[in-house]
Parts: sequence; C-alpha cells; structure tokens
Amino acid sequence: MKLSLFSPEDFLVFDLDSGVRVIALSCGKVPLFYATLMIKAGAERDPLGKEGLSDLVAESLTLGTRLKGPQELNREIEGLGASLEATSHWDSSLLSLSGPLEYSGDLLRILREVLFEPSFPGDELSKAKERRMAKLMELKDNAPKIADRTIWNLAMDGTPYSHPIGGTLNSIPGLAREDIIRFYKETYIPQRATLLVIGKTHPRRLLEESKKALQGWPAGEAGQDPPLASPRKGKKILILDRPDLTQSEIRVALPGVARQNRRYLAFKLMNYILGGGGFSSRLMERVRSQKGYTYGIRSSFHALRIPGPLIISTFTPTETTYAAFEEILSTLEGFAKEGPSPKELQEAKGFFKGNFPLRLETPSQLAREILQLELYGLDLGELLEFPERLGRVGLEEIRELASDHLRLDDMKVVIVGRSEAFLKYFEGLGTVEVIPYKDVSP
Amino acid sequence: MKDLLDFKRYRLQNGLRILLLEDHTLPIVSYQVHFQAGSRNERPGITGISHLFEHMMFRGTTRLQPEEFSKIIQARGGVVNAFTTQDHTTYWENIPSEELELVVELEAHRLKELRITEESLRTEREVVRSERKMRIATTPYGAAVEELYALAYLRHPYRWPIIGWDHDLKRLTLDECLRYFRLHYAPNNAVVVVAGDIDPQKTLALIEKHYGDIPPQEIPDDPVEPEPPQRGERRAVFKKAVELEAFFWAYHVPGIESEDIYPLMALCHILSSGRSSRFWQGFVRTGKVTELRAVVDPPPFWPKDPALLIIYGVLPPGRNSDLIQKEVEEEIERLKEKGPDEFEVKKARNGLKSAFLRGLENLFFRALLGGIYEIKTGGFEGCWRVLEGYEAIDEERIRSVARRYLEGDNRTCVLVKPVSLEDHERLGLLE
Repeated sequence: MKLSLFSPEDFLVFDLDSGVRVIALSCGKVPLFYATLMIKAGAERDPLGKEGLSDLVAESLTLGTRLKGPQELNREIEGLGASLEATSHWDSSLLSLSGPLEYSGDLLRILREVLFEPSFPGDELSKAKERRMAKLMELKDNAPKIADRTIWNLAMDGTPYSHPIGGTLNSIPGLAREDIIRFYKETYIPQRATLLVIGKTHPRRLLEESKKALQGWPAGEAGQDPPLASPRKGKKILILDRPDLTQSEIRVALPGVARQNRRYLAFKLMNYILGGGGFSSRLMERVRSQKGYTYGIRSSFHALRIPGPLIISTFTPTETTYAAFEEILSTLEGFAKEGPSPKELQEAKGFFKGNFPLRLETPSQLAREILQLELYGLDLGELLEFPERLGRVGLEEIRELASDHLRLDDMKVVIVGRSEAFLKYFEGLGTVEVIPYKDVSP
Repeated sequence: MKDLLDFKRYRLQNGLRILLLEDHTLPIVSYQVHFQAGSRNERPGITGISHLFEHMMFRGTTRLQPEEFSKIIQARGGVVNAFTTQDHTTYWENIPSEELELVVELEAHRLKELRITEESLRTEREVVRSERKMRIATTPYGAAVEELYALAYLRHPYRWPIIGWDHDLKRLTLDECLRYFRLHYAPNNAVVVVAGDIDPQKTLALIEKHYGDIPPQEIPDDPVEPEPPQRGERRAVFKKAVELEAFFWAYHVPGIESEDIYPLMALCHILSSGRSSRFWQGFVRTGKVTELRAVVDPPPFWPKDPALLIIYGVLPPGRNSDLIQKEVEEEIERLKEKGPDEFEVKKARNGLKSAFLRGLENLFFRALLGGIYEIKTGGFEGCWRVLEGYEAIDEERIRSVARRYLEGDNRTCVLVKPVSLEDHERLGLLE
C-alpha cells in the first residue's frame, strides 16, 4: 500500500539552464491543474521603512501585463474557471494558478506572461496601496489579529523579520513604483525560482509544458541574502489596553529553531506535546479541560531561514486573564524542568506516524510540503523518510530542547484587553508597557 | 465524477442509516456520525444546547476520562473533531484505515455510556461562553450579524445563533442536556458515513456489532414553524466601537432542495467572486469600499430550510455608507433588468465547478457531502446533482432568481455605526 499519493515514476525534477527548477508531479483525483512558482525571497528582504514591498510586488504581477490590462487578464483567467494568487511570505514569494487540467497549457502561458511581462501600471498600484491601507484600518477592529501582529514583531525584534508581511500604515504610502520594479528585477530571477506543477496526467507532459512556458527567462544577479541575525533576547510584556473588550487575547512567544536545524523534528514533537496537539497537549489539558478558562489554546512554531518563534495563543474572559496566564507559565516551567513523559512522546510519535498519509492526501497538501523542503534546500526524500526519522528522536533530546527554549526570562508577552482588570498582577512580573488601543497603528 | 461519490446505503434494524464509500488510493478512512440535531431543533430558553452538547460528548464516559476519547485516537494518528450547524451536529475522525475498529467502537461507546455531570457541565458552559465571546463580541461585526438573523426571521429557529444566546447558556441545566441527548442522539436520528480504504462487508459487520444493540427512540415531531413571507423591508442600526462603518443585507432564499440554489450560487459568484466580478470592478478596485461581498453557504452546507443570501460591505475610514448602498442597489437592479452577460455565465459555471472539484480531492469532504445530504434531505443522491446543477446555469435562470429574491420587500438591513468607546460602554458591553 502506498503511503502517499505519488511514487517515483509519478515525479520528475528538471533543472533548466537558466537555473530554474521544475518539479512535475502526477497526482489528484479530479481533472484539475495546479502550478506554483516559488521565488526564494520574501518579506525579510523589505528595506527598512519599505515594509510590505515584497507583498505588493507579488500583487502587482496580477495588475496587468504589457499585453493586457488588469480586467482583461482577470477575465481571461476567471473565464476558464481558474484562479491566480500572488503573495509574499517569509523567505519566499508564491505565484499560484489553478484551474481545469484541460487548460494547463493556457494557464502556463498566462503564468509566463504575468511573470515575464508585468506592466506595473501606476494608477493600479496606487489603488492597490489604498486598498491595503483601508484593510489595515479594518484590521484594527480585530483584536486577535492585532495580538498576532504585535507578538510577531516583538519576538523577531532585531531581525529583518520583525514587521508585518503586508506592511504598515506608515510604510505603505512610501512604496514607489521604482521600488517595486527594482525589487522585481533583483528577486524574480530564475536562479531563485522553482516551478511545481501538479495534475492527473503524465508528468512528462506537465514537464514539457512547463519548460516551454519558462523558456528564455534571462538569468539575473542573485545578490546577497539578508544576514542571519538572531532575535533580541530578554523578557518583555506589552499590554494593549482596549476597555470595550469582555475577553482578553493572550500571546506568549519563546525562541524557536531554524528550519534547517537538525533538531527541527524533535522541536515539532515538543510543540505537539506542549500545545500543538489539541486535546493531547498539556496546555489544552490545563487551561481548557481542567480550568475551563478558554475555548482554545495552542502553540505553534515558525521555522524559517533563521529561528522563528514558538507562539502560544489563547483568549479568555477579562476576569480570568491573569489566572489563564499563570496556568500557561506553570505549564511551561513544568515542561522545561521535567521534559515530556515517555507516554507523551510515544503518543506524539504515534500521531505523526499515523497521520503521515493524511497530511499528503491532496495536491495542495503535497505542494506545500514539497515547496517547503525545496525552499530550505532539504532533500525531497525527507518527505518519504519522515516516519523513520521520527522514530529516531529520543526523550533526552526533547528534554534538552525544552530546557533550552522554554525560558521565561526570554519570553515576550502581549495581552489585548481591558487592562484595569488585570494590570496590577502583571506588574509583579517586571516592567510592563501599556499602550492605549487608540494609539495602536497597524 | 459520480464514481468519487458512489455511496452505498444500508440500514440497521434500529434505524441507523449507514453510507459506505470505497476508495483504496491511500490507507486512510474518514468516519463520520451525523445527528439530525442542530439549532433548528431548539426553542427559546434552550438556545445553544445542540452546540453545548457537542462539547459534552467529549467530556467522558463510564470508562473514559474527559477528552480521553480524542487523545486515544490522536495517539494513533487520527484527527478528531465535531461541528454544529443550524440543521445537524457532526462528529468526525480522519484516521489510518487500520484504526477503523477502534473508532467505531469508541463512537458507539460514547453513545451508550456517556457520563455527564454537574461539574463537567459547569466547566464546558464557561468554555462555550468564551467561544461565544470570541465569535460574537471580539470580532468587529459578529454581533451585528447575530442581529441580522434575529431581525430577518420572526418565527423560524434560524433566528437565534447556533452558539446560543448568552442568557440561555448561563441557565441551561443538566436535566435539559440529558433530555436533549435522549431525544436526539438515537440511532434512528443518525447517519454513519465510512469512506476510504474499507472492506464494505467487514465494515458493516463492525457497525452492526457496536451499534446494533442501541435501541431506537421516538423522535419528536419537527418543531419548525415555517417563516412567513416578509412583508416589507426591515432595518436596524447597531452601534459599536469599531473603526469602519459597515452594512449587512439579508434576502430570504429557499432551502437546499430547491433547484434555485445553483443560479443563486452563480449570482453571488458574478457579483463578488474574483477580480473580474461586478463588486470588485465597481467598488473594491476603486476604493469605494474595503470589502463588498454576496454570500451563501455552498452545498452541502446550504441550510435545509429557507436560508439567507447576505450582501455586506465595509466602508473605508471616515466614509458614510448611504451613497454606496444606493450604488450597490443600482448594480443589482442592472443585473435584474439586463441579466448577466455571456462571459459572466461562463465564468460562474466554470468557477463553481472548479471549486466543487477541488473539494473532491479530499476524502473528508466527499464523506461530508454524502452524510450531510443524507441527514438534511433524506438522500445522499442530492450530492450527485451539484455538478449538473452548475452545468445547467444559464442567463435566464440567473436573471430569474435575481428578480425573484433580490427584492426590497424581502430584505433586512443592519447598519453598523462606529461610536466612541465611551458611547460603546454607555450602551453596555457585549457578551
């Protein structure tokens, strides 16, 4: 029985002379086609004061080409029942097209046009910037999202990753057309690109169509990646005071690991036991099941080219804000001191091993996994060897990780809520900065 | 695509319906139990009990500790969860196929041996109230949408939120929960779906072994009062400490069994799906609005009884919505008068088909399709109609549903007006 949807004969990898890698994969249950072009450069390359640039560059590819205005382009794509998305992330930017398999040739031709011949129309760029600013104002009403943005910036302070990918109200007006064109020319080059194409057809056909679509892409200057800076150390507590809320948002960030770290898999298991494993996690057990303080609590970690944070997220009624926070702290302290139990580790391994085929079921899931490995220069074989590698992680390794990473003297905390109800308790933990919500600028 | 949805139906003597779908591509199974027990089965005073009970189903049995059910399945690689809608409650596990017997046994066990206590109810009540705050009070417009439903429906149970009113959640008793469980969690009120890498005969035998001894119950009569036709527009203003003004319009449209759902899906697609849509081109692109969408729940999530098609818009900072609402009305009138053009019909047909096909890549979604159609309409075969329904979309059908349903007398409007924090507090904090 196959463990995933593809076997070696369904899978072709080809490096074109220009430097772009093409991965063609035959899989899927229905006649759909998925193409994702990944550029190995993302929001970490936004210059200081130009935050949001890479994401705007990605969107600007969809705003028109030298041959077509935006409406003509949109009508061509959507008329086929297809969709085009272009977004920036950390370490990468993605241009994704999907639609009926019978139009795979048309979709790749459109991808070529969008990628090679964007026109960056000035009036459309101005409108895109205005839309982004209005969206940010809308975001301000969303306390969970403001909490997410704030904890991220705090946790990544001191690195090129400490800003929102989409930019800020301050930075967006300063993103000029010349900035966009410069960023595009420097980063959308074949040496930084991988094209992944997936469809329920012979991979050779997908490969040949892709090679044709990418033909004639001139090589550029790859340039330097940003330095591998580490986030600033030390404890920091920030409260965003919003008196109208009857429920507080709580975020706690701790140092994580880079994606290429040899202990990545052990970190994944540790996170599952701590807060990533739903009802099997310690945080859910303590804060929801035993205390009933929240509907949900989870931890997640973000392994990037540099160590991204491990972030614990929850919410709780105003009156239980500090009590819920104390439960989080004592759970962290307990875990850092004792590590996981043999039973917890066995169950975490059982989850990831058993869950392996479920995580690789659909073309979209496969695409995400393959592109992540490709992005960080990891062997694609890792995907299929996952269950064996999992078996090799030991209890002691996770114990060490917990002791090294779950350090309260290095935690960053963000609370959004009615501060008068809980501020005095937090002040017992050290310096607390309180910002009135009206002064929060997304 | 019918082969991907080739369910086989069986029925046990106690009335339990079973749908089996074989697919051996991967060693995985989606196991689902759907109960005809949603917020439409409630009444004022016990609103939210269906959803609260969904939580209680994880709080332990005669031999399992609270949440142990989930932990056992997760430790074998499974993913476990549940959700409650207006029409049904669904429990599901996506698992490696070798764990099927474990899951069948555990699901049947909690039906037979559920243990709920005053203490577990107290804890879970607070969890649900926190969930309610997350969905209603913390989000910018959650409370306004709640008001929209309460205003659009006068009699039908869709008028209260699935999560329930906070004052009902605070007073629900253990006795009410036990009574609800007894009446609704019966084999003759449920559908079990097993999809994936299964042997049908062995699977049937497993289900018979574990569920066969559960007695049927007398299911209460369907309590639902049909909603009377709306006799004129209803309007409300909702004041809240938000940055941006917003408006929500709701139009009554038919339930899932109507053929009109396909052109109505197309209508929403033409108005607001993608950057070639009318709303994007005329309003979002130009910055007149931050957001403007026309939405309905796609099948199988489209409600059983007459539902609401919602159009909502969020204004840019400092802008008032009067003029924009008028322009949106004019856009709708143009569509009603001239109908969609050829491109729009093609786009809607192809776009809706692609989105539906994308869902079929996923075994869990395919199992949901069969199970939800069976529990809502009495026949999973309805899911075979979806692609045909999209295929049959044409200009005349779209224009016809636009004229019939997007009509002023059939509309309910809630306008969200930003107010200062002081005014927000004066009006009372949201719970």
